[in-house]
Amino acid sequence: MSLETYGWLVVAFPLAGTVLIALSWKLGPSKLHGYVGTLAIALSFLAAVGAFFELQDLRAEERRVVAVGWDYASTVGVDAQLSLLLDPLSVFMALVVSGVSMLIHLYSVSYMASDRGYTRFFAYLNFFVFSMLLLVLAGNFFFLIVGWAFVGAASYLLISFWFRRTTATAAGIKAFVINVVGDVGLVLGTYFLFKTSGSLDFVRAFDAAGDFGRNDGDLVAGCLLLLVGAFAKSAQVPLHTWLPDAMEGPTPVSALIHAATMVTAGVYLIARMHPFFEQAPVAADVGAILGCATLLIAASIGLVVTDLKRVIAYSTMSQIGYMVMGVSSAAYAAGLFHLMTHAFFKALLFMAAGSVIAAMAGEQNLDRMGGFRRAMPFTFGCMAIGGLALSGVPPFAGFFSKDEILALVIAREDWHVVLGVLGFVGSFLTAIYTWRMIFRAFYGEPVEPARELEGGHLYHAPEHTNPATGEVEDTDVGFPGPEHHIAEREGSMKVAMALLAVGAVFGGVLQIPKVTDALHSFLEPTFHDSRFYEELEPSDGLTWIGLAVGASLALGGIAVAHRLWVQDPARPAAIRARAARVHGFLVRKWYFDELIDAIVVRPFAWIGRFARDVFERAVVNGLFVGGPTLAVRAGSAAVRAVQSGFLRYYAALLLVGVTALGLYFLIAAS
Amino acid sequence: MSVEWYLVVSALVFAIGAGGILVRRNPLVILLCLELMLNAGNLALVAFARAHGNQDGQIFALIVMVVAACEVAIGLGLIVAIYRRKLPIDVDELRELQG
Repeated sequence: MSLETYGWLVVAFPLAGTVLIALSWKLGPSKLHGYVGTLAIALSFLAAVGAFFELQDLRAEERRVVAVGWDYASTVGVDAQLSLLLDPLSVFMALVVSGVSMLIHLYSVSYMASDRGYTRFFAYLNFFVFSMLLLVLAGNFFFLIVGWAFVGAASYLLISFWFRRTTATAAGIKAFVINVVGDVGLVLGTYFLFKTSGSLDFVRAFDAAGDFGRNDGDLVAGCLLLLVGAFAKSAQVPLHTWLPDAMEGPTPVSALIHAATMVTAGVYLIARMHPFFEQAPVAADVGAILGCATLLIAASIGLVVTDLKRVIAYSTMSQIGYMVMGVSSAAYAAGLFHLMTHAFFKALLFMAAGSVIAAMAGEQNLDRMGGFRRAMPFTFGCMAIGGLALSGVPPFAGFFSKDEILALVIAREDWHVVLGVLGFVGSFLTAIYTWRMIFRAFYGEPVEPARELEGGHLYHAPEHTNPATGEVEDTDVGFPGPEHHIAEREGSMKVAMALLAVGAVFGGVLQIPKVTDALHSFLEPTFHDSRFYEELEPSDGLTWIGLAVGASLALGGIAVAHRLWVQDPARPAAIRARAARVHGFLVRKWYFDELIDAIVVRPFAWIGRFARDVFERAVVNGLFVGGPTLAVRAGSAAVRAVQSGFLRYYAALLLVGVTALGLYFLIAAS
Repeated sequence: MSVEWYLVVSALVFAIGAGGILVRRNPLVILLCLELMLNAGNLALVAFARAHGNQDGQIFALIVMVVAACEVAIGLGLIVAIYRRKLPIDVDELRELQG
């Protein structure tokens, strides 16, 4: 089959899966739906592999194929086609997205088994994968925006999946609203770029990127607006507040959408638009600085959060901060490499966390966990592998990818060096918060669920409560339903986690400094027009120093975490008491929610209330509706008064009228 | 005799009829007054026909008589119906159609 066919199949399978699962909901929830969904994604992954091999058969300079389905609109200079762009970058993204999605689907087959919304869940999940693949394969801005909006909708549907849970619906709305801000940014940014490049097609627009002057006003505005879209989708400061709340969704959703795939769309966007960003260094610098800020802010919050999933969520924000900083500093291959390894180990961490949460019967608070090491050896092993990869301990995947980003950022040699050093600080914090989470959940005195599990019995909560607010909930919507599923007892969860663990351990071999260069050379055709791609190369000394510093910071962070939470568990409380102000500041998440509330939400709420109470009542109801009503009422009252029912009165009116008419004609005639 | 005298008589009869309609409340009398007005009109038509020396006005007068006959038939029918339903024989009391 040709490359184009493979490209279309990648998108077609998840769409077919969505339709098939959604239409067969009447069969009731059965594992069949889960397997159909998994199979659809597996076929999509195979098609992506096929596309990969077809692409490798082409000569390097030809590896940029546009597959046009049909012209959607071709008028007055707008060329909107249903087209896929198949080049190394998009095929790489398709492989990562479909591969990780396949494993997460497999995990969900068991994990969601007792959920009443099982069918709905898989229909949504397949729809999400379809949208995400559309986003990464889109060959023009038009379908990029379509895919961009679709994944936002899928994210909303899945965050609010347990729709009886008020916190979940609120989180879904928050995520959707912030994502729409990003959509608007993307659309307006597209407009600014279209204004000069004159084409919606990626290939033609990129070729026209040279027409812009360096730091041209339109170009910078367009790139900054694209960054708004990327930041909203990738949860970067200041549009990040939705991601921690999005943890209200089921855990596989957190693993798939809010760790591995959708939130990395912003990184993909910046890498895809690199011809524009290289012409507008101002915008790229803004991206790099905000990415660096995000990685530090999120890591610092991760140190104090007590919700197991939210710790990982802040970790995700922080790691995406690394990627955004990387791709904005022209370290494209490194950023995308980290995107891939992050997808492996972060999905793995979320899956392990899901298993722990199931063992705790839905409880997510780290304060109530402890001592799961012996009760859940497999989950512990996966969590540890994910944690080692996330902290960047050699030779795990995260070690190579994170250090490559930092080495390349420092190799820029201007003020980017500061960002790189701050990135090392972040990686130290990363090790601490990751291992704080693992030590608190798996070490220490076993809690009651852990003890029961060691005796072979899975703990069930006497009454189901919302982990965020503690209020009692009905289990009508399914999970957290009557049954919980942990990795130790479910084959499919085990397989999915084991495969991801393999990726988290060995993913790094693609890009070992001075040894392998697989990803960099594979992506080369996409970035051949980049000024930095080939030139930007850290010196040997810098590479080795970076690796040594990264490894020692990771191990040092783990040692600190071990000292604080295993050897001397009383210390954290003492430190907390001593630095109460800092702790409070971090617990309130740097007051970002309050800030956005004060700057955006309250003014808009005030405008809304004004519109409702004053404008609506006085102007709309009073003037626009009330005015005509009053006139019609007065007119009809006058007319009604004439209809008195007195026959003689009518006769008199008639007589007077006719007489008046006659007189008029007489006078007019004379 | 010139046509003016006829017209004066006609106008007088018409005015009597119109006044009767306005002041009387008995529907039977109102019907009679209506007849007066119609016949005043007929008188004028015939007078004009004679003054012009053609038959058009006379034909009109005949048609008006036919219309008057119809109207009387309906009017008397209504009065009988009012009587049958034991409603007051007074047009001021029959005002259910007020707006």
